[in-house]
Amino acid sequence: MKDWCAIARASGFKIPAEELPRVVFTLETLDAAFRPLAERLTPEMEPALLFRAEEESE
Amino acid sequence: MTIREAADALRAHRVSASDLTASALTRIERLNPASNAFLSVTVDRARERARQADAELANGRDRGPLHGIPIALKDIMHMRGIPTTGGSKLNAGLVPESDATVVERLESAGAVIVGKTNLHEFAYGITSANPHFGAVRNPWDAERSPGGSSGGSGAAVAAGLIYGALGTDTGGSIRIPAAFCGVVGLKPTYGRVSRHGVLPLAWSLDHVGPLARSVRDAALMFNAIAGFDPRDETSSRHPTVDFVPDEDCSIRGLRIGFPENFYFEHLDSSVESAVRGAIARAASLGAVIRPIRVPDMDALNTIGRMVQIAEASAALEPYMDRRESIGADVVALLDQGRLIAATDYIQAQRLRRQFQRDFERLWTEVDCLIAPTTPMTAPRIGETSVRLGGSDHEVRLAATRLVRGVNVLGIPALSLPCGLSGSGMPIGLQIIGAAMQEALILRVGAALEDSGVGIPPCPEE
Repeated sequence: MKDWCAIARASGFKIPAEELPRVVFTLETLDAAFRPLAERLTPEMEPALLFRAEEESE
Repeated sequence: MTIREAADALRAHRVSASDLTASALTRIERLNPASNAFLSVTVDRARERARQADAELANGRDRGPLHGIPIALKDIMHMRGIPTTGGSKLNAGLVPESDATVVERLESAGAVIVGKTNLHEFAYGITSANPHFGAVRNPWDAERSPGGSSGGSGAAVAAGLIYGALGTDTGGSIRIPAAFCGVVGLKPTYGRVSRHGVLPLAWSLDHVGPLARSVRDAALMFNAIAGFDPRDETSSRHPTVDFVPDEDCSIRGLRIGFPENFYFEHLDSSVESAVRGAIARAASLGAVIRPIRVPDMDALNTIGRMVQIAEASAALEPYMDRRESIGADVVALLDQGRLIAATDYIQAQRLRRQFQRDFERLWTEVDCLIAPTTPMTAPRIGETSVRLGGSDHEVRLAATRLVRGVNVLGIPALSLPCGLSGSGMPIGLQIIGAAMQEALILRVGAALEDSGVGIPPCPEE
């Protein structure tokens, strides 16, 4: 399991200590649900990202 | 009165556009101090536009069914010369020099924009309890939330302040207020409606759509705003049609999917009963109801949350040096998004593509799905947990649970009211279709509405 508090401290984002529990709790539960899904991925699965090499012309 | 009824009255010379606008402005002046649905009211511009609309009609120029109809915008959309707050005081001084595409299109269709509606801060939440501008109140019960993030739009339409409003939907933000306020809300297919001139929350999940008092009114507004826009890189060139369902529209023979898993779990009993009743009504109208298992929607929600927090934190990064001026709920989400790994965002976008393929197979078996919009009715303002199916759930996650997946897939969904709970609060159902099938889901919605599925107008205090 990731050490979100350590990641937060190392990030340099200056998240106040009293706000960390709220941030970390959600990330822990989200990450726990996400990790098994990410492990299902196979190399041929491409991301749903948008990039066009040519600009649309008006 | 609906948009269609007002349009008929205009053409029969029973009212003028100036009358309709004056009436809307009077109601806003009277009711907005309590509802807090509007952040700004464009009185002079609206009166001038209404006068122009009347003059055009008198000269034989009829721009169509929205001509002279008072409409509002969620205050996340740019309107030339009018401040855009995005629900945050950190946007003070943001006065756009041009209109959003949807504003141009509504005005070109003759609509009279009377103001901009309140919302959850940065459109990033579902309560519309805005820390800068105050909480929007649900017109059915002022102690309850209208939902969000387009809460002001939902409340304004439900309270009869205006005939229709635009909202945005990144994880349910049109459909949740539609359900909680008892109005119709359409989240179109991703790319159908231009996002140009609309403040972003999460680029790949943001959608613009209408909230209205009837399905056909929502379709009329959608007719005006849908279609390709070269100024939005994600805009679709898919052809548009007339989306307004016929008067005698039929759903006989249509295959409606009744989800056997996920959508009917952890529901308030009144919601389950109302939505099942509407499905039975669809069957009585000749639709073929097919029980069907849907892909893993909990997984899809997880993927959607991962994409949303990453994109939203990137979009709102410029505000984070003033974090003390952002509400605690939003700043927590923004911190979360800044801490996840770039690789996880990419993995989420890869999983998203996989689920899109899974759903494409589902559409070979059914034409649409009918499901509850939210598992519960509007919570009380400030309420953070709700009891559903014998367990406690965080209000934000409960309210978005049945709607978020549709944003991840980019497919259209229409929410319409289908009953009132024991405490008199509206219940919404959603009709979900394949990409670009707005005409079909609007037809199903109109057929249900015509058959009596719906609720009475919101009572005035």
